[in-house]
Amino acid sequence: MRQRLGYFALPLLMAAFTTQACADGETIAVFTKNQTNPFFQTVRVGADNMAKTLNAKTLQYIPTKPDSIPEQLSQIEDVVVKKPSAIVFTPVDYKAMVPGVEKINDAKIPVINITDRSAGGKFLSFIGADDYSLGLETGRFLLKTLGGKGNIVIIEGVKGSLTNVDRVRGFNDALKETPGAKLLASQPGNYQRLQALQVMENLMQSNSQIDGVLAANDAMAVGAIEALDGANRKAQVIGINGTKEAIDAIKSGKLLASGDYNGFAQGCLGTMMAIRSLRNEPVISEIVLKPTVITKDNYKPFDVPLEQRTCPTWDEASKLGGK
Amino acid sequence: MTDITKEALSPPRSFLSQDAIQLFYRLLAALLICATLSFLTDSFLSLGNILNVLRQASLTFFIASGLTLVVLTAGLDLSVGANVALSACLAGTVIHHTGSPMLGILTGLACGGTVGLLNGIMVTALRIPSFIATYGMLWVLNGLSYWYMAGETIHGFPAGFRQIGSGYLFGLPIPVYLLLIFLAIGTLFAQRTIWGQEIYAIGANPVAARLSGIPVVRRLLLVYAVSGTMAGLASIIFLSRLNSAEADIGESLTLPAIAAVLIGGTSLFGGVGTVFGTFIGALILTLVLNGMNLLSVSANWQPLVTGVIVILAVWLDMKTRRRAQ
Repeated sequence: MRQRLGYFALPLLMAAFTTQACADGETIAVFTKNQTNPFFQTVRVGADNMAKTLNAKTLQYIPTKPDSIPEQLSQIEDVVVKKPSAIVFTPVDYKAMVPGVEKINDAKIPVINITDRSAGGKFLSFIGADDYSLGLETGRFLLKTLGGKGNIVIIEGVKGSLTNVDRVRGFNDALKETPGAKLLASQPGNYQRLQALQVMENLMQSNSQIDGVLAANDAMAVGAIEALDGANRKAQVIGINGTKEAIDAIKSGKLLASGDYNGFAQGCLGTMMAIRSLRNEPVISEIVLKPTVITKDNYKPFDVPLEQRTCPTWDEASKLGGK
Repeated sequence: MTDITKEALSPPRSFLSQDAIQLFYRLLAALLICATLSFLTDSFLSLGNILNVLRQASLTFFIASGLTLVVLTAGLDLSVGANVALSACLAGTVIHHTGSPMLGILTGLACGGTVGLLNGIMVTALRIPSFIATYGMLWVLNGLSYWYMAGETIHGFPAGFRQIGSGYLFGLPIPVYLLLIFLAIGTLFAQRTIWGQEIYAIGANPVAARLSGIPVVRRLLLVYAVSGTMAGLASIIFLSRLNSAEADIGESLTLPAIAAVLIGGTSLFGGVGTVFGTFIGALILTLVLNGMNLLSVSANWQPLVTGVIVILAVWLDMKTRRRAQ
């Protein structure tokens, strides 16, 4: 008897959820890469914020295992069956997810690409930040602060990941522009705090003078700072992402700067374009947000809780580096 | 416990027993790596670097030491890394809200221990194979920490608390003292107590162990709870060393801990191995990574080299043991 009740309850429960989701305005399925990187939390809050303003709803799809390719693929399969009004999509892997995007295309669901540019598939528009210029601009800022000279180490993210390749290329180009600076080592921290800390501890053993650290994300930058503090040494450290932790570290003078990856704006704009296309309003086919180097002089607008931030308006969006 | 079983349980462990010989090989391997590295780099043999290696090895060792006991009973605890993550997140929250490091430490240890005990209950009362039970637990713990942290990090802890992971006492990092203490406790417990010997006996032959009156269920519960509590301890060291808690640290901690146990010569089939071996295992892993960083070896080679070492260690182990039998 109990079991039979369960058979009834399950579809009822599911029906209740689906009708609720469709009851009011459009449903936008938002795909992000993981639940662990604070960056994607800002994307999700941005998307929710914009959907609320436009009287639509979001459904969040996040792989339970961070950046899992098979999991995102099966989430796409589920979503295609469920048929949301539109999809805002961050591929967990820009190449491997192409078949998934094609599935969405075949199902004729409009899809917007954000953050990592997919290697294939048809998208209504692309919203992202430019990792290369983030690396270049933060690198330039560090070298300018150091007066154009000094010993530098790079702590890289996950080898071969799109963000890391471009950021590190930007770092290296900034170094090439500065003949007085010397690159001592470029070692991986896999975007992990602990690994970055240990790499930094090890590098400090073989290099008695390190003046600057270019880390490909904030968690690694903060890890490097912990290592420096532990050894009572000083160096200027740069991170990327503009997380809350990085802003706090900039405020307290421990971190020199962080490149803003603009997750909040990406979430806002991706959702905005999705809803506008559904309402037959014009969309911008590509926005590559300009990098902002967050320093102790300009951190104030970033030191605001996510919930209190406001999304850019359509007029502002059209001025944000669109094509 | 009667005297008869006590006697039956203490195996003839002469100084040059199987374990001692295995340990000797491992020490030799560690020394060989040290010699090579000091030859190849100027900075390896500096005091600072040696303390570095010990401090870095300590985190892996704390997790791996408890795990060693589990593996000795022919079990496996795949949830240790995720346990560290959840314990760190909870302990971090408590310290943040109450400002009391002591409460935070207790929270971390309690969370770790509780998770371990639940693993033990699944393995004993529900008779789920440990591999599956703890793998399931890994997902549960990840889910809880991801949900709880919602993509945020908790950071910034009191300076006093930071001393545990980053401080020094008479020129030695504090984690190194903890390492020595737990190495001693672990070794004495496994080698010199009845409970320790019973754990070996359970791993060697659970049926025989039960028939000879060993309370197998209670010992297994103890072993999993200890493994979880050590993960809780590691979470405290992690917090105070990195000054921040995040949900996704688990994945990068579990496999090195398992690797340390295996490189250290503890058999996955149970009954064979030592806590000291695990310490050497953690040391070898750390030395290799430290050396590759000092030599600026490309990132791509680091996991590859680690993998080869694990395979080699286990293969050599099985080979020498087979010959000895």
